[in-house]
Amino acid sequence: MSNRDRISPDENRHSVAGKSSPTQAPDAQSQEQKLQTMISALWDRSRHTVVERAAMLRTAGDLLLANRLDQATQQSAVDSAHKLAGVLGTFGLPRGTDLAREAEVLFGQSTPPGKVEIERLQVLLAELTRLIDRGPIGSS
Amino acid sequence: MTHRILIIDDEDDIRQVAAMSLETVAGWDVLLASSGKQGIERASTEQPDAILLDVMMPEMDGPTTLLKLKANGSTSHIPVLLLTAKVQGPDQRKFAELGVAATLFKPFDPLTLARQISAALGWKEGG
Repeated sequence: MSNRDRISPDENRHSVAGKSSPTQAPDAQSQEQKLQTMISALWDRSRHTVVERAAMLRTAGDLLLANRLDQATQQSAVDSAHKLAGVLGTFGLPRGTDLAREAEVLFGQSTPPGKVEIERLQVLLAELTRLIDRGPIGSS
Repeated sequence: MTHRILIIDDEDDIRQVAAMSLETVAGWDVLLASSGKQGIERASTEQPDAILLDVMMPEMDGPTTLLKLKANGSTSHIPVLLLTAKVQGPDQRKFAELGVAATLFKPFDPLTLARQISAALGWKEGG
């Protein structure tokens, strides 16, 4: 499977995450490719932090499902989701940003989420994990 | 013209992506700080042309750092752009009242970050 097959078109809102446009000047293409290579290398180095944050969210989601989520863990989940929302799109995973933002809102509610919201959280955290496992285009 | 930008963000990967972006795309010089306290010190001693400041940081958050920068005679003239993952309206109004030059949003596009900063500060594109 090629890198281009690993990700949906929605994952490619940032041009840096995809191929250069054929209409770009060679210098701009070269600049974009150089930046993409650097960012891919940085993703490989910092991936473990992203994976840890996603794992933290899944743990908090499981605790919520079991009605055992304490306030400190809830706040950690909000913080982790916020950090993921900020970083995933920058690395070329805009769908990951959308999912993390939704998780931030669901974990940050002042009233306990209902059954439908908890189920939605489980679904979106599973999708978020799959996205991070695949990584952006060009990552190893 | 080469600009000098100070990036203040507690997240290592965001600092590095932003620095790669500004150095590679625009050819700017980039200074880095991982906390508000360190950022204030670097701004005071190194006098960057602008500061890109994260909002949510432990210990000293972005708005508090901004207030200290504006209260310090050696840094009050430096334009500050806030970088935030928050998109809610009340936050935007609060940031504007604090005297920010502009608010940029995470996630940002590394290819266009320099262009966004230039546009916000009235700099000629490309630095």
